[in-house]
Amino acid sequence: MNIASCPASTKEILLARGSSAEWLRQRTLATPDANRTSPADQKHVGVPSLDITRHYASFASQTKAYDELYGWVPSGRVSHDAVLGTDGRILLRSSGLSLKRKLCMWKRLAATTWLDDFPSSNATFKMKRVVSLLCFNYAASVYAAGGEGSRPRGVGPEFAKFYKDAVTFSCITNLSVNIPVGRVNDDYCDCPDGSDEPGTSACAHLSPLSPHTPVDQSHTGHNISLALPGFYCKNKGHTPTYVPFTSVNDGICDYELCCDGSEEWDHVGGVKCEDICQQIGKEFRKLDEARQKSLGDAGRKRKELVAEAGRLRKEVEDRLMTLGTEIEGSELKVKQLEGELAEVERREKGKVVRSAVQKVGKMGALVGLAKQRTQELRETLERVRQERDSSRSRLEELESVLSTFKEEYNPNFNDEGVKRAVRAWEDYAARDKGPEPDAAHDRDLNAITQSDKENGIDWDEYEGEEDSDTDVCKSYSLYAFENYLPASLRGWVDQKLRDLRVTLIDSGILADTGSSSGESKAVADAQQRLNSARNDLDNSRKSLTEHKEGLDKDFGPDDIFRALKGQCISTDSGEYTYEFCFMDKTTQKPKKGGGHTNMGNFVRIERIMVDEDLPPNGKGLGTGERIAMKHENGQHCWNGPNRATTVILGCAEEGEIWKIMEEEKCVYRMEVGTPAVCEALGQAVPKKADGRDEL
Amino acid sequence: MQRLSISWTAFLLLCLTLCSLLTPAVSVKHENFKTCSQSGFCKRNRAYADTAAAQASTWTSPYALQSNSIKFSQGLLTGVVTKQVGDETIRLPLTVSFYENGVARVTIDEEQRQKKDIELRHGSKARKERYNEAEKWAIVGGTTLSSGAATKNGEKKGETRVVYGPAGAFEAVIKHEPFGVEFLREGVVEVVFNGKGMMNVEHWRAKVDKPVVEKKEGETEEEQKARESAVVEGEDEGTWWEESFGGNTDSKPRGPESIALDISFPGYSHVYGLAEHAGPLSLRETRGDSNSEDKTKYSEPYRMYNSDVFEYEMDSPMTLYGSIPFLQAKKRDSTVGVFWLNAAETWVDITKTKSFVKQAVDKVLQNPVSLGVTGSMTTDTHWISESGLLDVFVMLGPTPQDVISTYSELTGYTQLPQMFSIAYHQCRWNYVTDEDVRDVDRKFDKFKIPYDVIWLDIEYTEGKKYFTWDPMTFPDPLGMQEQLDEHERKLVAIIDPHIKNEGNYPIVEELKSKDLAVHNKDDNIYEGWCWPGSSYWIDCFNPKARDWWVGLFKYDRFKGSAKNTWLWNDMNEPSVFNGPETTMPKDNLYAGGWEHRDVHNLNGLTLINATYDALLSRDKEEASAGGVRPFVLTRSFFAGSQRMGAMWTGDNQASWPHLEASVPMILSMGISGFPFAGADVGGFFGNPSKELLTRWYQAGAFYPFFRGHAHIDTRRREPYLAGEPYTGIITQALRLRYSLLPSWYTAFHEAHTTGAPIVRPNYYVHPSDDKGFGMDDQFYVGSTGLLVKPVVKEGQEGQDIYLADKEKYFDYFDFWTYEGPGTVSVAAPLETIPVLMQGGNVFARRERPRRSSGLMRWDPYTLVVVIGNSGDAEGTLYVDDGEGFDYQQGAYIHRKFSFKSSTGTLMSEDLAPEGSATSKKAKDYLRSMEKVRVEKIVIVNAPEAWKGKTEVEVGTEYLASKSGLTRKVGMEWHGREEGKAAWAVVRDPAVAIGKGWKIDFA
Repeated sequence: MNIASCPASTKEILLARGSSAEWLRQRTLATPDANRTSPADQKHVGVPSLDITRHYASFASQTKAYDELYGWVPSGRVSHDAVLGTDGRILLRSSGLSLKRKLCMWKRLAATTWLDDFPSSNATFKMKRVVSLLCFNYAASVYAAGGEGSRPRGVGPEFAKFYKDAVTFSCITNLSVNIPVGRVNDDYCDCPDGSDEPGTSACAHLSPLSPHTPVDQSHTGHNISLALPGFYCKNKGHTPTYVPFTSVNDGICDYELCCDGSEEWDHVGGVKCEDICQQIGKEFRKLDEARQKSLGDAGRKRKELVAEAGRLRKEVEDRLMTLGTEIEGSELKVKQLEGELAEVERREKGKVVRSAVQKVGKMGALVGLAKQRTQELRETLERVRQERDSSRSRLEELESVLSTFKEEYNPNFNDEGVKRAVRAWEDYAARDKGPEPDAAHDRDLNAITQSDKENGIDWDEYEGEEDSDTDVCKSYSLYAFENYLPASLRGWVDQKLRDLRVTLIDSGILADTGSSSGESKAVADAQQRLNSARNDLDNSRKSLTEHKEGLDKDFGPDDIFRALKGQCISTDSGEYTYEFCFMDKTTQKPKKGGGHTNMGNFVRIERIMVDEDLPPNGKGLGTGERIAMKHENGQHCWNGPNRATTVILGCAEEGEIWKIMEEEKCVYRMEVGTPAVCEALGQAVPKKADGRDEL
Repeated sequence: MQRLSISWTAFLLLCLTLCSLLTPAVSVKHENFKTCSQSGFCKRNRAYADTAAAQASTWTSPYALQSNSIKFSQGLLTGVVTKQVGDETIRLPLTVSFYENGVARVTIDEEQRQKKDIELRHGSKARKERYNEAEKWAIVGGTTLSSGAATKNGEKKGETRVVYGPAGAFEAVIKHEPFGVEFLREGVVEVVFNGKGMMNVEHWRAKVDKPVVEKKEGETEEEQKARESAVVEGEDEGTWWEESFGGNTDSKPRGPESIALDISFPGYSHVYGLAEHAGPLSLRETRGDSNSEDKTKYSEPYRMYNSDVFEYEMDSPMTLYGSIPFLQAKKRDSTVGVFWLNAAETWVDITKTKSFVKQAVDKVLQNPVSLGVTGSMTTDTHWISESGLLDVFVMLGPTPQDVISTYSELTGYTQLPQMFSIAYHQCRWNYVTDEDVRDVDRKFDKFKIPYDVIWLDIEYTEGKKYFTWDPMTFPDPLGMQEQLDEHERKLVAIIDPHIKNEGNYPIVEELKSKDLAVHNKDDNIYEGWCWPGSSYWIDCFNPKARDWWVGLFKYDRFKGSAKNTWLWNDMNEPSVFNGPETTMPKDNLYAGGWEHRDVHNLNGLTLINATYDALLSRDKEEASAGGVRPFVLTRSFFAGSQRMGAMWTGDNQASWPHLEASVPMILSMGISGFPFAGADVGGFFGNPSKELLTRWYQAGAFYPFFRGHAHIDTRRREPYLAGEPYTGIITQALRLRYSLLPSWYTAFHEAHTTGAPIVRPNYYVHPSDDKGFGMDDQFYVGSTGLLVKPVVKEGQEGQDIYLADKEKYFDYFDFWTYEGPGTVSVAAPLETIPVLMQGGNVFARRERPRRSSGLMRWDPYTLVVVIGNSGDAEGTLYVDDGEGFDYQQGAYIHRKFSFKSSTGTLMSEDLAPEGSATSKKAKDYLRSMEKVRVEKIVIVNAPEAWKGKTEVEVGTEYLASKSGLTRKVGMEWHGREEGKAAWAVVRDPAVAIGKGWKIDFA
């Protein structure tokens, strides 16, 4: 506050209220808290010394009298004397008390305002100049924290305009509610939106989170909310912030938000919050520098990753091109081979299979062997079936034991052994058990295991029989007249006969016995070539689809996770090592040994809002929209769902798991730093969250 | 059509019934716990009672007081009661003590055992006397013998009359043969001992092997029954010498030794107490038929045998974790109480019969509907304990306050807890790492939800070894606690009485080498199973063990503990997983040779007693400062445990019935002298729906002990996880609790000094209104006049509240006006807690939301003056540092605020006795509080006459001498609006909370 701004208006108020003494008395009584204002809070307030001289005497006597009367100062405890210094300053005259103590007294006496840098006059102790007491009573409570401007304590620059009127204050969002300026920051909540108490906690309860009565709602109905974001800490030497009103004068130095300690201006319970902004600011700048550097590096790394991702993408695209060509080639080849095969088949169809069965007369032996073998198989099947039935009934018994066990055990006893067993049982019970025993199967089994006679197989019928050719074979032997022809003619005849035969077969007159009796090598070879070509084609096509999908798949902004796909980072936390593999999965491995637990397989990339504290080293998510990777369908959780993990990514120089939390049973949250997300969402510099109150 | 709809209804009902049957409800495993008929002594005494009842007119109790043995002097009557069994005469020494406070106490022992003239079987090392040390643990005062008590002349032959009590209004009529006592108040018989002849003292006898019995090995059921019916002679020996249950055999080295007594309350319709049970506050009859339609009667007696009952069931006389064998009987304008001092397994049967009290009959004729609540009933109780002395205290009231304060004087007042401990506690089995704890702590701040304490269940330890921290998950416990301390928050860590039996664990090494553990029947260390697996149990009956335990908590011993670490003693029934009924075998031995059966119900108390002592001072600095107020939570308890800490109702479930049951359970604790009670908010087992969780927080905000807790297999449910609107509503409930902390603390102080319950049932507040005697779903908070009825049913959006008195009540949140007496309906959508303010009261709150209760210390107060029909209002406020013992040296503020309509003034007067604040500590404290002021006074139902008034006059006590010196402060007045009361608010009177002042509204 400058010299010009205060006195005039103050005096006006005084005049308006009647005698200054009366007003002083009222203020002293009505708001003892005003007296608690510390000298440090009342800088830069100055008025001509004359004013002090004139009002001091009356004030001092009044104050002392009322202090004793009302007990704010236990009588006899304070013996402060004040005299005017030669230059109009007030000297404290008392002995044996520390400066601090004296300042305290002064605070009690008049809550005077002080000039910080008044030149020392080499007096008995370093003097501070007392300026207008009248101004104090007005200024201490209202404008005490005001620095260069004339803002009341706790008001941020953007709200200064609401506090300009020197006589009346209108509540910011309830303009109809007007109060004298003296009621601003008097530690009593007048405004329905709390705007009259920017520097105290008096309106902190005006929040949807607090219970309310008609007393709070008389002007607002049910919509209670605060007009101000909080108590404004200037934090000179650092960054200004708003502290929640709930933290003002609660006896705790909230240095995290308010490094100048100004939110504890009332020193409740004797707490004194030193201004540590210089130190904090310095540290912050140092850290910030490191952070900026780290961010710069991270940015570079990200660029590299983007480049890498681009390269990989290009690779895929190139490969797609190649594949396209390959596929075209393969298609041609397949076509060609199909033709070849058809031709070979056509040719082969005409060939007479001369001797489908090389050896005749051994059928009987074969039948014998077959019979024996069938018998063996049947017996074995019978035995296996018995074993199966017995196992099945034992299994049923065991399952019923276990399911009773699961029903009846006491989970509260938390016997790890028992719990493990129950867990394993539940996993087991939840698994697909394969097909249920099928009556049809059993009927088949019954049928199969019946004796051969009952099955209608009469081995005897075959055992004694001579081996004979099939009809077709017979017919071939019958027509084997070419054997009698000369070799040259035989070739011609043979060829003609084949053609004829093919024609006959093709026209459906003759049955095609060739295919049923096995293909010729030529056909098989052709078929194989074709198959192989088709396989190649299929693979190429599949590869093409995959690559195409890969190309279309969401790899995040700038395709960046393409560069990280499959890369894993891990960290130790408690009894476990946790691992996160980009675009793949998350896992948990017990340090004490034992199997890995899949905590979820990657399903998609999402964007979610976070609001987290940012540690000084910047390794945290901060506030805002962040990229998150959803992992689902991990290992099933006992008494719970399948494990799932949300990995939320924050900007960092190195890939690093910052934090793992089990948000609810078997639903995990990982906070991971990676250069991949730097700048991606405008997260250039993670910002500290505002200290907005309640809203 | 009509018929169709009926059949449809029937069908639907059938479906519903079937559905409810099919619902896979978790429930208690009955087979793990004894019924009366499985507990030999209970079965024997019930049979004895049946015989007595069956032969009512011809039955003669075999107990007689030998007239020539009677001596009386200085309030103490002694004599010998004999029990005649055939030719044998058993001598039972009797003392009847009359105390200054109006309590009469009847104690019966057994002479032969006093003289140790008995033999124990199986070479047992147990003591020979009956257990006579329960008093040592439970009784701390109120036992000054009355010099005013005198025998009355002109008495009838065969009886001795003693006049005693305040103004000689009480009289004990001791009948000689058969022995019995009638207690009269102003000539009316209120309590009768052995009026039904069910008294039974099973004397010691040597086991005689009767060959006849041996032959009866293959006994038929009829024969068995025939033998059972022979109990008249006490000859059912089937359960005398050995009893097996659940595969465990009790060797019973002293044979049968139960004691039993019938106590009748003529004209009394309701009895309360016998905590802890999950059932209605007004105790049910217990002689019902289990197959009967009438479910208002149990078929089992109320049982008290402290047990870890897994998934306990609702509305049941089954035993739970703690026992307080104190019972009050209520009829209109009269309350009497009996306290059965016995720590052994105890069963109590309750029956009610129509009595022929004249005025009651008249009443019945006038209004037959009110039968049962008009005092036309007589309640008979039958108390049965397995061993120990027969030792009963009788309190004759006549008000509930009289009875409870006398009981509290005997067993000790509830501890004045630290302020933080009546704020909100956040618990879970388990916060798994120290980082987890820090994160929860930060989240509460982020969501602007106040909390004071975060808890660690068993998983913080290394392998369930108490006094250790798991180095993997809790590498930095001190750093974690420093973070908590930044906002004056606390940590509560669990430590249970079982000590892991494992090598390289110094605690167990010491326990063993110093022989401080409980022994088995062979007098070797007893090994059982609990959380850590194989374990031993500290024997806190052993003074050396207690000293050792105290030492374990020193900061330099329990590494990782800090000044803001407090304690939770769980599993102290004790819970033994592989023991009979999940506890220890009854023939286990404790220091001094007492058997587990003798001391079972005291076990939990002895442990928290040791822990309390340990926490009083954990280093030299604390010791020299006179100690700090400990905080200990216990699951198991007995009469007297209230002196040491808080209790909770154990492992409940996340279900609506459990929420509903929590209210009567907590009310029952309140009227049993242990008011610092709560239930796990949210329900321990299972996952609550968001609605249930929200409603539970709203109810929990009115539990004296307010803690959210959850089982390890449940989903996380910290309030900020619920999501909107739930998180916001829960936060409001929490902030409501915090804003009312000054009133809660005042209620705790009242409990601490008078024994008054903190949450009070209707019968306590309105002892003349019989309609409210059975009510247990609504309650008053301390003396604030706040009447609360939490919503405990799913989907319920309104609440019917019963108003007992002809008084105005106002909705806490919108000042809607209701008029009693009668039942009124209050809207209660999810965001609303049904809370009414009774006219005629003043209460204090602190409205500024803070992060923890510690940060509210310097905040100003708001006084709420609720003007009722008389136009006056009154209330008190007690304030101290909320931490230490300085209050005992006068460092406190205790004010009475009274508004008088006749003068139109509100006064603040000092309730502290004059000269109580002379110590330095007191002066320092009062000085530190000088700047703490009253910032606002809200007057609900403000007089219409104030309309237009904008100022009131304030004077302080310093002004009184200088007349005319007052100042004016602003006042705002609002008229009535559609059913809502007029109200006024005084703008910043700026009067100090600790000072006298007067505000003139006239």
